Amino acid sequence: MFSHLEQNRGVLPLTSKGDIHPAILALGRKYSSGEVTGATARAVAMLMAFKQVVMDYSTPPDKMLSWDLDKRLRPMMQYLIDCRPHSVSMGNAHKALRNIIAKSPPSLPEEEAKASIVDKIKEFINTRITLAANEIAKNAITKIRDGDVILTYGRSSLVESVLVAAQQAKRGSFRVIIVDSRPGVEGRQLSETLSAEGIPCTYVLLTAISYIMREVTKVFIGASAMMSNGAVLSRVGTAVVAMMARSHNLPIMFCCETYKFCERVQLDSIVYNELGQPDDLISDASGGDVDEFKALPSLKLLNLRYDLTPIKYVTLVITEFGFLPPTSVPVLIREMTRREDKDEKY
Amino acid sequence: MDEGRKVISDDFARQLSPETALPVAAIKTLIGVIRRSTNTTIRGMEAELKEAIQLMEDKMETDSPDNSRSTISLTSGCQLFLRHVSRFVAESVGEEGFDESCKQQLLHRGERFAEVSETSREQIARLGHNFVRDGTVVLTHGYSRCALHLLLMAAETKVTLACSLREGRPDGAGFKAAAALSKVGVPVTVVLDSAVGYHMEMADLCVTGAEGVLENGGIVNKVGTFQMAVLAKAYNVPFYVAAESYKFARLFPLDQRDLPKGKIPRAPFAAPEGTPESVATFSPSVDYTSAEYITLLFTDLGALTPSAVSDELIRLYGEA
Repeated sequence: MFSHLEQNRGVLPLTSKGDIHPAILALGRKYSSGEVTGATARAVAMLMAFKQVVMDYSTPPDKMLSWDLDKRLRPMMQYLIDCRPHSVSMGNAHKALRNIIAKSPPSLPEEEAKASIVDKIKEFINTRITLAANEIAKNAITKIRDGDVILTYGRSSLVESVLVAAQQAKRGSFRVIIVDSRPGVEGRQLSETLSAEGIPCTYVLLTAISYIMREVTKVFIGASAMMSNGAVLSRVGTAVVAMMARSHNLPIMFCCETYKFCERVQLDSIVYNELGQPDDLISDASGGDVDEFKALPSLKLLNLRYDLTPIKYVTLVITEFGFLPPTSVPVLIREMTRREDKDEKY
Repeated sequence: MDEGRKVISDDFARQLSPETALPVAAIKTLIGVIRRSTNTTIRGMEAELKEAIQLMEDKMETDSPDNSRSTISLTSGCQLFLRHVSRFVAESVGEEGFDESCKQQLLHRGERFAEVSETSREQIARLGHNFVRDGTVVLTHGYSRCALHLLLMAAETKVTLACSLREGRPDGAGFKAAAALSKVGVPVTVVLDSAVGYHMEMADLCVTGAEGVLENGGIVNKVGTFQMAVLAKAYNVPFYVAAESYKFARLFPLDQRDLPKGKIPRAPFAAPEGTPESVATFSPSVDYTSAEYITLLFTDLGALTPSAVSDELIRLYGEA
């Protein structure tokens, strides 16, 4: 069923390739080794690397900057995708970058054109990612009340900043239940950060979800992407958490910057997903021998990275523009495109 | 400045009549503010309007006549008006250059806005009454001018129409609506709020008004609406809401307790004599009905599904 998904090949050897900029090579390695993970971190790192590429670029004579640069960047993006399939956030950021380059006026001298592209990349990171995260935190903490028990799953940098902001804004006393699962166990990092902030935390594994759900009052989860049919693509296991929360009548709030909104419609977790390292599934404390498992002919080790949470389990989406019912995702996408088009005309 | 505040406050009190909706009164007051204003910058004008809105909100909270009207629609109507003003500015004035002719234009626009708001009830009735077919049994709750207008128009065009009205405790507003319907010859029964379950199987559709329509398509309305909506859903009875678009508020409550505190007054409700003091009584005057229980909303923007409300809000307020 998952044969259409490319198997993760592990860390690629760091060999220099003709046209690939060293910053991209280094980044690709960080992607494949898992040193840089998370939708936001990956998109930001990608933009920073491409910024470096633009700065080091010089247009060959008799070529046009916007065309040639775009052509140069394409194999680099492909290289990054080969290292690890790109997330929706990266895809959208890449689209924005291409847009920036394409719009660079041909009349501008090269140095100025490059500076303006670099500025626009910085602006994208600043407004759509950094400031957006601040706005989301500001919006989200208004939903946190004294005595709340907030459940979150894995680690989302957005949810982390929301909870830290809520604690710093003294939104009453609340505690957090961190649900985590193998093989990522990113929740451990979250529990460290939150404990350091003085927020009372409970750390459980996904298997304890039905037991722990009784105490919970609200659920905050980060999203990898928002599909235009209102479904949420997120860390595998999210759908289970959302379904369980829904059966307890709890509000399920997804924090998501609008640059992660995707025009695609997705109905299940099969058509688009990513396979992680199969070894990660067994190589852990249990002491299983990876090779022994791999030798079993009828056993397939399936390590999926994402799953899809259907719209009925999404109470609301918290964006930098405010609260949004999941049904309005396509409307916001349409409004944003319309505004971009309008900007273009001026 | 105090004198200015008093003028606004008096003006607002004068506009508030039983026949005028709260937001319309507020908008008219704001137009008065613009007319008297001597401000020459648009920023100053906006600040002045905001101050007036705050004043009216405070006034409603401290000395509203029955102390049970929620101020959600007041806020939403005023916000929409403000949005209207700043849109006008963005379109035709620009940052500076706010002179007398601009002021006149703005006043003209504002008055049109108030007019449209006033006529929207008629429009909603025209839209919604088609949903009430001949021989329909309608269940409604409390007294809503908008829903009542719709039913009266339906009664004019239909041969038979039976209405069950819920008493609408604590203020028994249902009787007021029943009298109006009975006057035009609609057979009306007023039923106890607690008997809604008994009557639901006989109802063909439910119609209520709303104090406020929220970002997710849910509504805030007189307490008891929520239980009616849940029952209607369980019995597959369509549940319609009639509300003007100036009641669209940028609020997204997660549950009943998530509504803004100041805007939800307590209903007068006391225990009978002889009840031990340790027994507490509490009732809010409004409750929140979430979007999943609402079939359609009849508004002056058309018949909207609950999810379309958010779309309209995005359109009205831009994305920021």
